[in-house]
Amino acid sequence: MIEFFHVYKKYPPNLPALTDISLQIQQGEFVFVTGPSGAGKTTLLKLLFRGEEPSEGKILLNGQNVNRLNSRGVARLRRGIGLVFQEFKLLPRLTALENVALAAEVIGTPKRESYIRAYHLLRELGLQEKCDAKPLALSGGEQQRVAIARALVNNPLLILADEPTGNLDAQVSDETMRLFLKIREHGTTIMIASHDIALIQRYGTRVISLQGGYLAADLQRVKKQESER
Amino acid sequence: MWSRLSFVGRRAWNNLRELFWTHFLAAIAMTMTLFVFGAFILLQENLQNLLKGWGDQIQINAYLDKSAGVAEVQNLLNRIRSLPEVQQVRFISSAQAWNEFQAALGAQSGILEGLPKDVLPSSFEIAIKPSFRDSPMVEDLASRLKKERGIALVEYPQEWVDRLSLVVLAVQWAKWILGGALFLVTFFIVGSTIKLAILARKDEIEMMQLFGASEEMIQAPFVIEGVTQGIVGGLLSILCLWFLFQSLRDVIPSGVGLVGPLTHFEFLDLRSAGLILVIGLTLGAAGSLFSLKRFIKTWRG
Repeated sequence: MIEFFHVYKKYPPNLPALTDISLQIQQGEFVFVTGPSGAGKTTLLKLLFRGEEPSEGKILLNGQNVNRLNSRGVARLRRGIGLVFQEFKLLPRLTALENVALAAEVIGTPKRESYIRAYHLLRELGLQEKCDAKPLALSGGEQQRVAIARALVNNPLLILADEPTGNLDAQVSDETMRLFLKIREHGTTIMIASHDIALIQRYGTRVISLQGGYLAADLQRVKKQESER
Repeated sequence: MWSRLSFVGRRAWNNLRELFWTHFLAAIAMTMTLFVFGAFILLQENLQNLLKGWGDQIQINAYLDKSAGVAEVQNLLNRIRSLPEVQQVRFISSAQAWNEFQAALGAQSGILEGLPKDVLPSSFEIAIKPSFRDSPMVEDLASRLKKERGIALVEYPQEWVDRLSLVVLAVQWAKWILGGALFLVTFFIVGSTIKLAILARKDEIEMMQLFGASEEMIQAPFVIEGVTQGIVGGLLSILCLWFLFQSLRDVIPSGVGLVGPLTHFEFLDLRSAGLILVIGLTLGAAGSLFSLKRFIKTWRG
């Protein structure tokens, strides 16, 4: 589903963020991208939804060259990707329900259908009582669940989550991870950028490790690897 | 399609509501610009009507010697009627001229009080056939009439027509030069309000881009906001011009003696009103698009 071919990314003036990254990710995989701050985790995710463009190399998503898309193509690409951020990025003026429905409405889903979908997702995530609450009235965990509902509302094939548990306590982080695993059961590919080793050890099935922009390791089972050490 | 239109419409409406005063002030600026431009159109159109009226009924006024007797006047009338250029001749007696002048001054006719009623001379109003209405031909006829015995003074409006044509031309140029400068200012004012609207929606726009909204879905509401400012500004300016027109029409006398009755004043016709609206609409749309291009970051294809 995702293929990186010798991808480089440099930021001006000439700072390398990613160097010669080549990897493949299959549909339905649950992948952690890990590494210390500045390792290139966020950049790697951004390249996938064209938040950034690679300096060199090729990225294919479902066989489509991401770098060659025009603005319409980028918009279409993003409709198939659900994004989750560390700081949630919910719009404070809108209620939880409106935040989720907006993501569907902007791609042309009728208003009624958008709100029905948003409501069902919030109910599934245990937030039916919070539909009318504004983000600031919600706890960190609740806000992240709203953000996850928003990422799911367009039935994406890929979810990219950048440090989704960075602002959450351990218990809520666990709940969020279980939620991602549940989503994955429907065949959705999930890529999570995180440096939370404990979470990765508990939930990681595949871990891509970056160090200073280089691909340092690509491990299939962290628990097993760790236990062998 | 309908859901997209409905979404764009709702967003535009919400933006207009939330930044009401900003949009309102921009619409007022638009109103002032279009008002000035419209006032020039109004002036130009009425001057052109006046010119056309004069052109249609071009005539020579030949004022008679007070000493001319009835027989002499009749003789002169017959001679003038027989001239090939002359379409029609109307004799206006001194008393008739006084009455017509008084009627033309209307409410201001009081200024004539104290003057003897025979102060105005008798005259001939000589209408010229259309084929002889060229400036040199009229001049030639006027000079021949001047030589006739019994005629004291000959006047014809051709030089007034020429002078007024110059004034119309000046008004036309002023309209576009001053209007153009004001359009430019208004364009930037609209652009600034849309910039404010964009900045107020910065996070929302970023999220919409990340969800996969098309550029049209993101930008259309802002264009609608600009266009709304333009239409509101256009309509308000036409309304203000209407009030200005009504108040001035009652003040300006409808005729002056020398050049005959003026054509009645007319408000903007549909074409001119439409032009004002289209300019407002275009300025609004262009100002919005200018700001969108500058302040919305887009990905490159």
